[in-house]
Amino acid sequence: MNAPWDAIALEMGQGALAMAFNLLKVIIPLMVGIELILTYGVVEKIAPKLGWFCRLIGVSRDAIVPLLVGLLLGVTYGAGALAEINRRTPLSKNDLTLLGVFLFSCHGIIETTYLFWMAGASALFVSVLRLAIAVAATAVAARFMANRRF
Amino acid sequence: MAVFLKAILNGALKGLKTALMLLRIMVPIYLAVVVLKHTEVFPFLADRMAPVMAVFGLPGDAVVPMVAGVFSDEYAIVAAMGGFAFDKAALTTIAMICLCFHSIPVEAVITRQIGMPAWRMTLFRFGLAVLTGLLASVLGGLAL
Repeated sequence: MNAPWDAIALEMGQGALAMAFNLLKVIIPLMVGIELILTYGVVEKIAPKLGWFCRLIGVSRDAIVPLLVGLLLGVTYGAGALAEINRRTPLSKNDLTLLGVFLFSCHGIIETTYLFWMAGASALFVSVLRLAIAVAATAVAARFMANRRF
Repeated sequence: MAVFLKAILNGALKGLKTALMLLRIMVPIYLAVVVLKHTEVFPFLADRMAPVMAVFGLPGDAVVPMVAGVFSDEYAIVAAMGGFAFDKAALTTIAMICLCFHSIPVEAVITRQIGMPAWRMTLFRFGLAVLTGLLASVLGGLAL
């Protein structure tokens, strides 16, 4: 031990309270935002305009709604929606793999950007750079898979 | 208008519920990190991992939120990061690495359920996390 117990206890109490307060500041606006996105069918409205994006990352148009749900809402809140969409219109194996590559590289962008920005990281890096990496990784994977079936 | 207000109210309630659920996990993790930080466990771990962390321009302590993240989720990463005083560039690099490679056991199960090869996806995530970390540390060194 290199610090007295009372100092450690104080650090724990202050830190835990600050964390609880910060989390409430993140989660409540976030869930209001997600609820509005779902209520007004924002994802379904954006999806038809993204044909160019599908071609860029090599997925068919079927994959765009689950992709947007996972990207914007995240897997935690979007998991139910993702399962539901996949049940209604099952995706091809190709789309499913590319969707996996994309979403594992970058999901829940609103939630994580806000959360890590509050924690002190760069919002620009966590949102834009991460999205760019996901797009690049998926585009590369699509070209790779087109050349070599596996 | 009624629809709009109802959405706001529903969202706020869900947010409150979710926050309380998450805090039940985050507070214990944070408290454990603070206690362990003051013992010899973390300094030992940090010393051993310092050469690896240095590749990403990070202090050895950065291994703690990473380990927390591998087994748990984004909220555990933030909880563990809160126990240390990292600067903005380090926080950003840790975030970029952890956001790519986190919740490995849980998400591997989800991957398999969806019908994707879990091992291959996990390897892919690990590789991408390393590349992302290197990119973030270089860009962060220039821009932050």
